[in-house]
Amino acid sequence: MTQSTSLPRLTAAALGVSALLWAFFVWRAPIDAMQGPIQKILYIHVPCVVGAYLGFFLTAGASGVYLWRRGERADRFAAAAAEVGVLFCTLVLLTGPIWAKGTWGRWWTWDLRLTLTLLLYLIYVSYLLLRSFTEGSERAARFSAVYAVVGVLLIPLNYWAIDLAGGRTVHPENLGRGSLGAGMGAPFALGMLTAVAAFAHLLVRRLEVGALRAERERLDAEALRREA
Amino acid sequence: MSYALAAYAIAVGGIAAYAAWLAGQRRALERELRSEPLRNHG
Repeated sequence: MTQSTSLPRLTAAALGVSALLWAFFVWRAPIDAMQGPIQKILYIHVPCVVGAYLGFFLTAGASGVYLWRRGERADRFAAAAAEVGVLFCTLVLLTGPIWAKGTWGRWWTWDLRLTLTLLLYLIYVSYLLLRSFTEGSERAARFSAVYAVVGVLLIPLNYWAIDLAGGRTVHPENLGRGSLGAGMGAPFALGMLTAVAAFAHLLVRRLEVGALRAERERLDAEALRREA
Repeated sequence: MSYALAAYAIAVGGIAAYAAWLAGQRRALERELRSEPLRNHG
């Protein structure tokens, strides 16, 4: 009990500290000479990508464990990670077009990176819909798990999309060593840390909700058995 | 600057809204489970 109540407090504290530091460093970050203040979207857009990738990798990992061991907890973990991953992916698909409008002059283009990100999003939204429509069925849980494992293969494709397109993309290349200007490394690194902390906190909270829902279902089934 | 502010407001607001929704769900389920034994045995 102590562990289950102290973990959300720990993740909330980590999130609070990193978010404060991140906000301070973003505020103090230098204005990009080419793009102006809009370049600061980088410190939130890329961290949201990390949250989405993390969510989908964990969903696939937990789904693999579920297929192997058939444990209900692994299935619940997969669903929780997918939901948090979809939240972050939604934020990627909202912050990206805002940045695009300010720099490319249009909200969206069917660039390979953007298209694959949208596809990845739709795959995991479908995963959540599939689960919500077929709640409780073990066969549906098995099918969802296979779907989640296959869906994650899109992440490496999405990550290396720019290289695969031979540089013929509108989206900028992946950041590498020395890509960021002076004073931009700290807000970027803190943004990543804050995204991981936010992800961990939301996942812990979502797992609590999942456990409570499972308990309610167990009690409902018990009540039905008694009535029968 | 307005584009950057809009992006930050959407991202931070989105995460905060989801966290608040989860907290509401947890409270509602805890309330329901507290009353469940009474309903089942009552």
